[in-house]
Amino acid sequence: MTAVSAFLVPGSPLHLLRPDNPPWRPIIAGFERAARALAVSRPDAILLYSTQWIAVLDALWQARPRLTGAHVDENWHDLGDMPFDIRVDTDLAHACVKAVKAAGISSKSVDYDQFPIDSGTIVATRLLDPDGRFPLVMAANNLYHDAATTMKMAGVAAATARAQNKKVAVVGVGGLSGTVFREPIAIEQDRIAAESDDNWNRRVLRLLEKGETGQLDGRIEEYAREARVDMGFKHFAWIRGAIGGRFFGARVHGYGPAHGAGAAVIEFRL
Amino acid sequence: MANGEIIAGFLAPHPPHLVYGENPPQNEPKSEGGWEQLRWAYERARKSLDELQPDVLLVHSPHWITQVGHHFLGVRHLSGKSVDPIFPNLFRYSFELEVDVELAEACCEKAAQRGLTATMMRNPKFRVDYGTITTLHMIRPQWDIPIVGISANNSPYYLTTEEGLDEMDTLGKATREAIEATGRRAVLLASNTLCHWHFHEEPDTPEDMSREHPQSYDGYKWDMRIIELLRQGKTAEVFRILPQFIDEAFAEVKSGAFTWMFAAMGYPELPGELHGYGTVIGTGNAVMEWNLVKAGLAGAAAPPPAGPSVAGAREAYAGAMR
Ligand SMILES: [Fe+2]
Repeated sequence: MTAVSAFLVPGSPLHLLRPDNPPWRPIIAGFERAARALAVSRPDAILLYSTQWIAVLDALWQARPRLTGAHVDENWHDLGDMPFDIRVDTDLAHACVKAVKAAGISSKSVDYDQFPIDSGTIVATRLLDPDGRFPLVMAANNLYHDAATTMKMAGVAAATARAQNKKVAVVGVGGLSGTVFREPIAIEQDRIAAESDDNWNRRVLRLLEKGETGQLDGRIEEYAREARVDMGFKHFAWIRGAIGGRFFGARVHGYGPAHGAGAAVIEFRL
Repeated sequence: MANGEIIAGFLAPHPPHLVYGENPPQNEPKSEGGWEQLRWAYERARKSLDELQPDVLLVHSPHWITQVGHHFLGVRHLSGKSVDPIFPNLFRYSFELEVDVELAEACCEKAAQRGLTATMMRNPKFRVDYGTITTLHMIRPQWDIPIVGISANNSPYYLTTEEGLDEMDTLGKATREAIEATGRRAVLLASNTLCHWHFHEEPDTPEDMSREHPQSYDGYKWDMRIIELLRQGKTAEVFRILPQFIDEAFAEVKSGAFTWMFAAMGYPELPGELHGYGTVIGTGNAVMEWNLVKAGLAGAAAPPPAGPSVAGAREAYAGAMR
């Protein structure tokens, strides 16, 4: 099996920058459990897709060997900056570009000093792999790709890793429900903004826990639409694609709000 | 200090291709040119701006997206390297700019008084978005006039287009009040493309103009209809059909800058001067000017005490900051 572990995690900077805020603690605790599970799975690389790395023209793949800096979030700039130090498995990244292109999806690598790294990627790598032990392969969220294309891309990436004899941890970075508070709130009172969103999130989390892929498939579109799910839940499609579609259940390590939106740390049983 | 006024507004789109085509020293990638029609349009706009001698340039950019409220750059000096995440091959630009923090704070305060969520951005490590930088470079490559940078709250996307643009109307009115109260002679820059249907693949040589054309004929016709109305000064009609234009041409004006600018100027039924139109990777871009001084709706600049116009603007700014 190429995928030795798989996780869906939120990319909001709030949890990283204010880990002690009571409503955000379940997510931080969830990240801690997921980080341990990821380390135990001993991957050769992490295959990561963040909804916040937006592409428009091609499927983009990060190919700079090392990315360092301190990122300031566009919206949460008052909470401080987020230093990062990310290593990239450039062999695998370049091979992914080639293979995904061959599969009919226009692809390109990016290798530029100070290319903007999105908040989601930084949050996920900082909290899942705090010591930066595992190199990454990162793909962008092309706004014109649907879930099927995203799945296909992830599948090709996993197959490419297999061809290089590499085990991978699969990570999809993104939120659940997307209704947010549009005005400042007292952060210690953060909650899921809409009850209907909360209900939807919990229903989907239960299906994930039970591994009810059949039922999930029938409901994801409705969930995405009605709960305004972050980017139509394409980060889940990424995970599905990379693990070959099936999983036997999941553990929800943490669930909670991100300024009204839904967030969860989920580990899939492979 | 009072009696500030808006002296002009520009529709000033931000395709990074224009900077790339120009080859300024700040931009790393080098080109063989390209998009000349639009770059010459900006040349005319630059000349006009020079004559206006503004104290400050206010720019609203769709590529600084803030989910919670409208944000204003609030750090006096900002610098760094801006790399466009979509076109990193074309735009890697070292910037340095001065912010008119006092005016930005006034804008923020007036917006809050009108019921909008408004916040100052005080983080000195903040990286200014490429939309803001491209528009500012294209209109004033000398970077010698202080600026106010305003984010795009995603309200027109999160709410309905109409509700979102309603907020932008309020933001425009607040901006005008702030300019009047702080005594600035201000130019507004709406950093927006018109029709936003674009190619899905970039030509191997991006500046190969034999490959450049409108992506959509319907989108092109929409652009011409809107521009013709703007050239005739039929502002009310433009805003009546704006939601339909946005829907059918996928127009970037949805992000609000265009509405913000016109609301601040009081929606004058004033013929806009078209400096030029061109497509960039298929999208429609117009550089247009509404000169309120020429129209007699704002006062002309007092002759500068000495030296070139820029020095005058700089002194006024320095004075205001003291
Ligand atoms: Fe844009």
